[in-house]
Amino acid sequence: MKCLIIFGLIVAVFGAFVGYGYLVFTELTRPLPKPEISDNTYWGPGDGKDYVPDKRINEFRLSVPQAEIEDLRQQLNRTLRLTDPLDGISFEYGFNSHALEQFVDYWREKYLTKWDERQEFFNKFKQYTTEIQGLNIHFIREKASEEAAAKKHVYPLLLLHGWPGSVREFYDIIPMLTNDQNVTDYAFEVVAPSLVGYGWSDAASRPGFNAAEMATVMRNLMLRLGHKKFFIQGGDWGSIIGSNLATLYPENVIGYHSNMCVLNSPLAILKGIYGTYFSEKIIPSRFFYDHHFPVWDKYAELLQESGYFHIQATKPDTIGAALTTSPVGLAAYILEKFQTCTNPGVKQDFGAIVTVFGLEPVLDNLMVYYLTNSITTAVRFYAENVSKAYTNLQLDRVPTPVPMGCSRFRYDLPSVTDWQLRDKFPNLKHSMYFQQGSHFAALEMPAMLYQDFTAFVGKIGLHGADSCDYKA
Amino acid sequence: MTNLFVRFLVGGLAMLAAIGYKNYRELSAPGKRPELDNNAYWGPELSKQNYKENKAILPYDISVNPEVIADLKSQLSRPLKLQAPLEGVGFEYGFNANELQKVVKYWRDTYLTKWGEREKYLKKLDHYQTEIQGLKIHFIHAKPSKEAIKKGKKVLPLLLLHGWPGTVREFYDFIPLLTAGSDKSNYVFEVIAPSLPGYGWSQGSSKTGFGVAQVAVVLRNLMVRLGFDKFVVQGGDWGSLIGSNVASLFPENVLGYHSNMCANNSPMGSLKLMLSFVFRSWFVDEQNAHFYKGFGGIFSFLMEEMGYAHIQASKPDTIGNALIDNPIGLASYIGEKFSTWTNPAFKTLPDGGLTKRFTYDQLLDNIMIYYVTNSITTSMRLYSESMSKAQFALAVDSLPITAKTGCTRFAYELLHVPDGVLTNKFPNLVHSTHQQDGGHFPAFELPQQLYEDFTAFVQKAEL
Repeated sequence: MKCLIIFGLIVAVFGAFVGYGYLVFTELTRPLPKPEISDNTYWGPGDGKDYVPDKRINEFRLSVPQAEIEDLRQQLNRTLRLTDPLDGISFEYGFNSHALEQFVDYWREKYLTKWDERQEFFNKFKQYTTEIQGLNIHFIREKASEEAAAKKHVYPLLLLHGWPGSVREFYDIIPMLTNDQNVTDYAFEVVAPSLVGYGWSDAASRPGFNAAEMATVMRNLMLRLGHKKFFIQGGDWGSIIGSNLATLYPENVIGYHSNMCVLNSPLAILKGIYGTYFSEKIIPSRFFYDHHFPVWDKYAELLQESGYFHIQATKPDTIGAALTTSPVGLAAYILEKFQTCTNPGVKQDFGAIVTVFGLEPVLDNLMVYYLTNSITTAVRFYAENVSKAYTNLQLDRVPTPVPMGCSRFRYDLPSVTDWQLRDKFPNLKHSMYFQQGSHFAALEMPAMLYQDFTAFVGKIGLHGADSCDYKA
Repeated sequence: MTNLFVRFLVGGLAMLAAIGYKNYRELSAPGKRPELDNNAYWGPELSKQNYKENKAILPYDISVNPEVIADLKSQLSRPLKLQAPLEGVGFEYGFNANELQKVVKYWRDTYLTKWGEREKYLKKLDHYQTEIQGLKIHFIHAKPSKEAIKKGKKVLPLLLLHGWPGTVREFYDFIPLLTAGSDKSNYVFEVIAPSLPGYGWSQGSSKTGFGVAQVAVVLRNLMVRLGFDKFVVQGGDWGSLIGSNVASLFPENVLGYHSNMCANNSPMGSLKLMLSFVFRSWFVDEQNAHFYKGFGGIFSFLMEEMGYAHIQASKPDTIGNALIDNPIGLASYIGEKFSTWTNPAFKTLPDGGLTKRFTYDQLLDNIMIYYVTNSITTSMRLYSESMSKAQFALAVDSLPITAKTGCTRFAYELLHVPDGVLTNKFPNLVHSTHQQDGGHFPAFELPQQLYEDFTAFVQKAEL
């Protein structure tokens, strides 16, 4: 009898434990409703009491005074006293000093000498600025070509860059998107803005401008241009902003495509751990195992590579000031990301950046940060997105009905599996694994990204339906 | 039925107890002293073949080439394009740009104008350099005053170690107290304050693998070179960890160890630290409770304040290259620590409270040393080299310090660990105090207080 009572007690305690565990689990993993955020917050300087929105769309042309280029050349001509790398070391300790010297030489002697050419190149797409919520937003706006407009279904597309990228990343893919191509029935009117705090867009003057606010401004930008419904494509922050836009304003988004499909909800993390051990249940092929697993290895790699994230998320003004006052410093810091985001086979090679990206695109991109003095405001975005105000929104747990497409490039930051994605994107229409390529997909392999994006668009089932409602 | 069940239960518990006890024994057993090459060569590859250590100890001239000062002045004269701080923000986002502008102006218009004075001030202590294991090591050598010797004070050699982003400059008000002695103490000190290898005027390693244990070997060899077979060690920040390594690896040389940042990074220490979060009252008493953060406090501290350590431990060459030849960058990056680490509450202040405890001259002296010696990159490599698998494998953390040890804790220091957590590393802890003021740089900020505590330790330990 006593034995039965003791046994019963143990079962009861155990049961209570399990029950409690289950409650905690469901609380942590259940989907959440869309949070309410204002779509009209003023982000300009001061309190905006007397703010009268200026809705004009002004033309923008890059025209850097020669004196600025001269000054940069002089700064790049200072005698560098960089410390030699340790014996036998390439880029294992960060950006190699000898490589940096070579880049600086090229930048000064070759690149700046043909700056006028580069500037012409920058201006090859039509660019504008307009004021949204107190912030001047710069953007590229390229309409579909005449041939494309005649033969294809044309849709608006919001193209979002990240850090340390810029609109420059899209200069190869934009013509593919706007032109008449054989592989798809679609063409696009591309809107590629500089993110708030990046490039030629203003930055917020007070704390709180996080990825949800960014999504709102970008959505309002599209509305300003007459696009009530549009596609979104993005990587890095662009992917997260796009995800937020699709979540907060699903009525505006026809489809959302990402080349960095990350998801950090508790459920996704738990599923990731499960997937490490039972991957065959959740990935389409064992060849894709290395994209996601083992999660412990991925975390270790992330730890090694995320020092920049940590310092930018906590002391953006400290590191920002340091990079603002030294173009060589800015080069080392940003180039390191391009060096790392090549592939493991070449990322210790001095020639990797040249081979994978080419020197001009990378220096063009660096010039965007340098000329606009935007590195500080760019890195502040990290601090805003780890703040409680933002993380409390828990946007990763809010599902959206918007059709989603995901392309995974082999050497990018680890993505999540479809099994995880569907918790947030139940309307996942397209999922692709590439066994090559890395973080800067639009720059490195624009044709593949273009193919993948249009494949996604084709799967949504728009063909023939409601095409008259879309104003291109 | 009951019998069987009870037997299982008892048997299971006994097994758990046995496993737990075995692990505990393993965890708390003192580690084995690792094999370290006392003669490892750390210099450039080219010189290795015919390397013959130059044992001469020569006076060292820290004079700065006037061209460097002129170039610095012109760099500081460039139009400053810093982004304005966000509205209502002090130092919460890092070094406030408005304050940085003020510092730059002072640096250019006042400090550099009197650079001759500053250089003279830096030279008021005697500088030397000697070569240890392929590296030129700079140090200050301060002898005890004649009066103190006349009074019959016992002279103890003292190895005084700075950290990051500090330099020997932190000790300029501390050293005179150590060499003058006081009525409260029978001791006076002969101070050897080196620039850590890779910092200031000391050469950095050309080879990988130069972590705290290897630095400890070099600095112990420095003391032996100077004729000090037995000495006391004092340090904070990296100086505390390097000093702890010296004391652990060379018990035959170390008379006593004093630190203002005592730590126990052995597995047992980490375990006990976890325990101290759960069973706080076992480790921490009411009076000093505010010195010891709980789990939440330590976690948020790690997240909020360790970004620099994260990037330095993983990409020292990137961040080093960003700061070399970048005086304003250095002022921002290094200056931030003298604000937040002196008192975390300073983060809310628009000027970061920089001048509450330090003068601009003091702060700029320290930054100048990094700038003119070009040592920021090598200084940061200490992080990557010390936080490597190879370094952890040496398990010096598990080696107890047999010499007498003293720990003092300043109120606003980043992180403190209670005595109860230190026991397996400091079995001979004879002195443990709490200071109700002061932060991470006590030798710089409150030299008198640090001096009094240090000599109290030495007195008590009867070194």
